[in-house]
Amino acid sequence: MRIVIAEDDALLREGLALLLRAESLDVVATAEDPDTFLAAVDAEKPDVAIVDVRMPPTHTDEGITAAVEARRRRPELAVLVLSAYVEQAFATDLLAQGSARLGYLLKERVGRVEEFLDALHRVADGGTAIDPEVVAQLLTRSRPDARLGRLSPRERDVLALMAEGLGNAAIAERLVVTDGAVHKHIRNIFAKLDLAPTDRTDRRVAAVLHYLEDARRRA
Amino acid sequence: MATHDGAAAGRPGRSGAVPARARAALDALEHLIGGMGTGLLALLATLWLALTAVACLAGVGLLLLPSALHAVRAVADRERARLSRWGPELIGPAEPPAGLRAALADRAVRREARWVCTHGIFGLLLGLIGATLPLNAAHDITFPLYWRLLPESESTAALGWWTVRDWPGALSVTLIGVLFVAAIVLCVPALARLQAWPGRRLLSPDPGTDLVLRVAELTATRAAALDAHATELRRVERALHDGTQNRIVAVTVLLGAARRALTRNPAEADAVLERAQEAAEQALAELRAVVRSILPPVLADRSLPDALTALAADCPVPCRVDADVPGRCAASVEATAYFVVAEALSNIAKHSGARDAGVVVRRLDDRLHVEIHDDGRGGADERNGSGLTGIRRRTEAHDGTLELASPPGGPTTLKVTLPCGS
Repeated sequence: MRIVIAEDDALLREGLALLLRAESLDVVATAEDPDTFLAAVDAEKPDVAIVDVRMPPTHTDEGITAAVEARRRRPELAVLVLSAYVEQAFATDLLAQGSARLGYLLKERVGRVEEFLDALHRVADGGTAIDPEVVAQLLTRSRPDARLGRLSPRERDVLALMAEGLGNAAIAERLVVTDGAVHKHIRNIFAKLDLAPTDRTDRRVAAVLHYLEDARRRA
Repeated sequence: MATHDGAAAGRPGRSGAVPARARAALDALEHLIGGMGTGLLALLATLWLALTAVACLAGVGLLLLPSALHAVRAVADRERARLSRWGPELIGPAEPPAGLRAALADRAVRREARWVCTHGIFGLLLGLIGATLPLNAAHDITFPLYWRLLPESESTAALGWWTVRDWPGALSVTLIGVLFVAAIVLCVPALARLQAWPGRRLLSPDPGTDLVLRVAELTATRAAALDAHATELRRVERALHDGTQNRIVAVTVLLGAARRALTRNPAEADAVLERAQEAAEQALAELRAVVRSILPPVLADRSLPDALTALAADCPVPCRVDADVPGRCAASVEATAYFVVAEALSNIAKHSGARDAGVVVRRLDDRLHVEIHDDGRGGADERNGSGLTGIRRRTEAHDGTLELASPPGGPTTLKVTLPCGS
């Protein structure tokens, strides 16, 4: 897996590279600004880009813009966006492009190395990794939605993990239940939310996130 | 019980009336004489106005007009402050509108001009009467003590009338002196009120419009204060997010890496832990820097001059500080002055190419005057996004003023005044 890191903070950039190299991952380039990053994407043909949201010159959303541009140049590129805090608008912007090969995580998740690597692999393999905090905010803000109210607490847990991008096996492991139980919960959730059932994880994530986003807008 | 004493104190006896009247008369005398001072200034301003009017006929009056209007406003403000000390407070009007035509059409300016003429003549006259009354009283009352020493031509009462040649005459002059004292006690308070009347009427805010403007101006400066506040918060937020938080994230990343390394290769873990520690130390240093930028401890612990000296010492351009600020101003004002100087010095270091800079701080009355100058290349302009906009916003948020002189080729002088707020 060829990785490019775009992060303007030198210490964090080096820390990330050190962490990933220690895991025998192939960090082919590091960049400190959007232009260097895009040049590296062109030159190194990476599989995954890890991109900080705030980058020079204005330190607002240059990272998001650069990530969108990198995806335009190289549609098969997986992008994992790191953010200092949850910015719903950025997450929504990114997901508007479809949720496959896309991740949006808070920076501090990187310290939980197993979970971070798991998210990285999921994104590289065509999946989705959405920060639990983003999902939690979406769920909180969509609370008045009547159909969400019909979910049982356990179903809500499953919904949240689905939205984060986890597959059935991973959800079963997190909730310490059997695959069969997870399968049943997911069927119930899709029925209660009037969503067309699907087994493909990426479509499932997109469906769930769209539903939550719509519910938030209606709320 | 206290109620007894209270009742007695609340109803002064007849014996208290005479000292009270005497005191009122003395106060009124003081006001009259004070009014004579502003009357004299008003007379000068009136003459200046008249001169300007004549010069206008000759075609060069427009050059004098700004200074004349300025003089009128200065005298009027002095009178407002004087009258506010012993009566209802007189609130000044907003700054006169920019542009001479608009200023001349401004109602407040016209009222001030009318007041200046009235007060310069009648106010001054009443003040002179007020000042001579006690002199005449003293002259006449003490007349029997020295009248025999006077040459015959000068042996008269203060106002003349007749020549005194004998003791009954001298004693009747004393009687006139007593009448003067009676006049002082009875009439002077009324004279003082009469003298103040044009000012109270013409210098008070125009009913309606003036206060609306003033309220609008105050609202605008308050909004600017909140804006400056929000900008400041944004700055702090960004410093925390992009600096400190990144350091701490780096610490967690390195700690995560170290834990993974521990299971594989403990020797490698130690190196990673050392970097994590460095990152944590950097986080602390950044946190200190952010805190210092909010309210510098040197300002909290020591004085403004000390804080400015420390700033100048950090400036890469040699910089002298001449700060003479007795007492302390409000903390927010000192912090603003500090940041004005900090921002100006960083501008000088970044853009001016100066070899020498200086900071002068003075406290005059209740205003803090800050001047920063350098011998650099000049051409500083608020519009090209330098720190000057921030300086202006922060200054105006405190009802302060800012003046910038920076011709191309230099030198540059920035003057900021701030109300001390204490």
